[in-house]
Amino acid sequence: MAKPKLASVWLEACAGCHMSFLDIDERIVDLIGKVDLTSTPITDIKEIPEVDVGVIEGGLGNEEEAHIARELRSKCKILIAWGDCAVFGGINCMRNFKSVDDVLKKGYVDTISTVNPEGVIPGGDVPALLKHAIPVDREVRVDVYVPGCPPDADTILYVFQEILQGRIPKVPSDKMRYD
Amino acid sequence: MSDITLNIDGIACKGQQGDTILEVARRNDVYIPTMCFLEGLSPMGSCRMCVVEVEGNPKLMTACTTPAADGMNVHTKTDKLKAYRKQILELLFAGRNHFCMFCSQSGDCELQRLAIEHGMDAVRYPFLYADFQNDTSDSSIQVDHNRCVLCLRCIRVCSEKVGAHTLDLDKRGWSSRVIADIGKKLGESDTCVDCGACAQVCPTGTITLREFAYRGRRNDCDDQVESICPLCAMGCRIRAFVRTGSVARVEGACVECPDGGQLCHKGRWGLTESTERDRVKTPMIRQGSTFRQATWDEALSLAADKLRAAAPTGRAGAIVSELCTDEELSIFADFFKGSLHLDKTDCFDGDALRGFVAGFAPFTKQGVRPFTGAHDILNADAILLLGARPQEEAPVASSYVRVATIRNGAKLMSISPFANPYPSISDADLRVSMEEMGPVLASLVGAVGTGEPIECAGMAVLDAMATCLRNAKRPVIVIGSAVANHPELVTAAVNAAIAAKSFFGDGLGVVPMVTTGNGLGTVNTVLAETAWVGDANLDFMYVFSTGMVPDTKSVLEAMSRARFVVAQTPYMVHPLVNMADILLPAPAWYERSGHYCTLEGERRRMNLIVPPKSELRGLSAILHEMAAKAGVPFETGNSAVPCENVFKSTLPPEQARIVAVSAPSAAGAREV
Repeated sequence: MAKPKLASVWLEACAGCHMSFLDIDERIVDLIGKVDLTSTPITDIKEIPEVDVGVIEGGLGNEEEAHIARELRSKCKILIAWGDCAVFGGINCMRNFKSVDDVLKKGYVDTISTVNPEGVIPGGDVPALLKHAIPVDREVRVDVYVPGCPPDADTILYVFQEILQGRIPKVPSDKMRYD
Repeated sequence: MSDITLNIDGIACKGQQGDTILEVARRNDVYIPTMCFLEGLSPMGSCRMCVVEVEGNPKLMTACTTPAADGMNVHTKTDKLKAYRKQILELLFAGRNHFCMFCSQSGDCELQRLAIEHGMDAVRYPFLYADFQNDTSDSSIQVDHNRCVLCLRCIRVCSEKVGAHTLDLDKRGWSSRVIADIGKKLGESDTCVDCGACAQVCPTGTITLREFAYRGRRNDCDDQVESICPLCAMGCRIRAFVRTGSVARVEGACVECPDGGQLCHKGRWGLTESTERDRVKTPMIRQGSTFRQATWDEALSLAADKLRAAAPTGRAGAIVSELCTDEELSIFADFFKGSLHLDKTDCFDGDALRGFVAGFAPFTKQGVRPFTGAHDILNADAILLLGARPQEEAPVASSYVRVATIRNGAKLMSISPFANPYPSISDADLRVSMEEMGPVLASLVGAVGTGEPIECAGMAVLDAMATCLRNAKRPVIVIGSAVANHPELVTAAVNAAIAAKSFFGDGLGVVPMVTTGNGLGTVNTVLAETAWVGDANLDFMYVFSTGMVPDTKSVLEAMSRARFVVAQTPYMVHPLVNMADILLPAPAWYERSGHYCTLEGERRRMNLIVPPKSELRGLSAILHEMAAKAGVPFETGNSAVPCENVFKSTLPPEQARIVAVSAPSAAGAREV
């Protein structure tokens, strides 16, 4: 049997979950023997192929991110949401208490450190913000939730090992964290 | 109370008639998750975490409010219940801003713990993202309504234990919000006593204390030690959280105690601050306008020389802080009174203590204990305050007064030269000067005893008070510390308690507002029989200060007159330090252990919380060495164990007799 293929994307998040994945240290050698890493922020391959397992780190805050989430969902059999941002919305949700216009104005005009005398707010060429920054499962179906900010490396590895054994895992309480 | 037996998850659990299902389960080590429930507060069953299935009943029941019945079959861990509990948690997470990554309470949070326990790996419901604002108007307590789960523990502790009833609930459903003083911000509240109990009981990061935020989660702390608060005579039980050698957080420890695990503003804030203060680390000897470091040997030799010269002349004295433990006070008494035969020993607040002792003396001689534990205020149906300001003198006793009045409907009366301490809840208030209080109390004692009305003009209030005291079943009289300067008024107050038949199990229903930590422990140890500090003119003065309360003016003046001063203190406290000729380091409150005689009528243990870091020496070692250097034998056993003496009684309070009140020493008193 061919090695299962894995693709991961880093959306509205800090990359901490991918860092935590790398924290599995030398066990990554064993994992790579069993799993084919395709398009990931680590391999830096941009094109997402058809894969067995897709991983999303981060919430969805703009149209591009929502598009990538839909694309990965359509190309993978099992979709994993990594981290509080992908699972709950996480720190991106801090903007959800304000309207999109207020958020952009705050970010690009009103902050004290910003020099923007004309008050230009980016638009047109860049993806538009969604009304709210949302967890992944508000856009596409998610099969495995791995909360944590970031999830522990051991938890991330546990989830892969379970999938390699043919199971769709739920993170048990003793491996779960929200911070 | 009859025994009942329930079957909970297949286990036969014993309980008593009147217990709730939760109480029986907990007593039998059956775990039921709870969130709004908190031991000591009235259960309300609002969060629904504790739902259980009871056979024969189609509905889910909240274990915290459902009475247990004999033969009940209860299930607490079915799949249905787990699914419901998880659903409740998801709804709570969806309702407000419960994102743990930017919350100071993450890791200490009961909501987070429950969600993880129930395997909540996602939230199926739409997040509401409603903005509930923060209330950061208070200088010490901050409220983030976005993190509130409406368990109402804060509201309940504030009204049921602190009696302030500052907090209430505004609006309904998801719009509900905890508010202060019916719509004010917390910082603008007139009723908040700044005790921080609301933050202590908050299960989430809603109400937090600036002082403790980010100083370490409870779970991250290296140690948790139970001890007592030394800052007033209540001796409230505390739990101190230690992180990297400093006290990071202090909480009330005793939920089952009458205080319900509350602390007052002093205990909540005063203790942790002190761990960050500048310390006296080594012995120091004055050199001109500054100090030079010295060895213990050098400093104690010099002190012993001066002491040996001054002691026989009667011009040597010692002042010891009331925040010392019984054990420390006994050692001081052994050394100064036993070894050196000094007649001049005292504590900082000796005058008030002497006043209470003198006022109580006639009753102590009878063999009764003329006072009772402060918690008996909670059981009182009438409370008479005599010149008392409990919120300043012993704040947790003030909580007792408020709770007894608001929750139990006790009548609250005040006879005082000061403004009414409880203007909004008191039933009768009589403003008299200290000089007028003697005759007023004499009339009151007479009227309570005989039942005859007081027909003096303008004294209808007093007559009403007399009637109230006479009809009360459990009246309590609280004597303010200012009254203690007039021992005859203390005696008159105890007479009033006897006339009103205010008898409690351990003594007469009188609570003296002793304001200083172990003030009761100084009686029979270092407390002088007559005041001397005011006109002391000494060659040698030894001052032991704990640096936790300001040193009194009279002591500082006596120090400035003394020709040689040894000050032992943990902190670089000014002006005490400025006046010292020898400065000796002392352990801080959290570096000591021993016992306190408390106003709660108990001997309570103070435990070592953090081991001393600097070059400290135990008091016993210091005084023994000084005795050796001064060439005097160290006499032990010169004072009885302080507490046993203070609390002892040979007669039940019912046998107490009213005594004649001696003529007041203060001028200006009138005959009735």
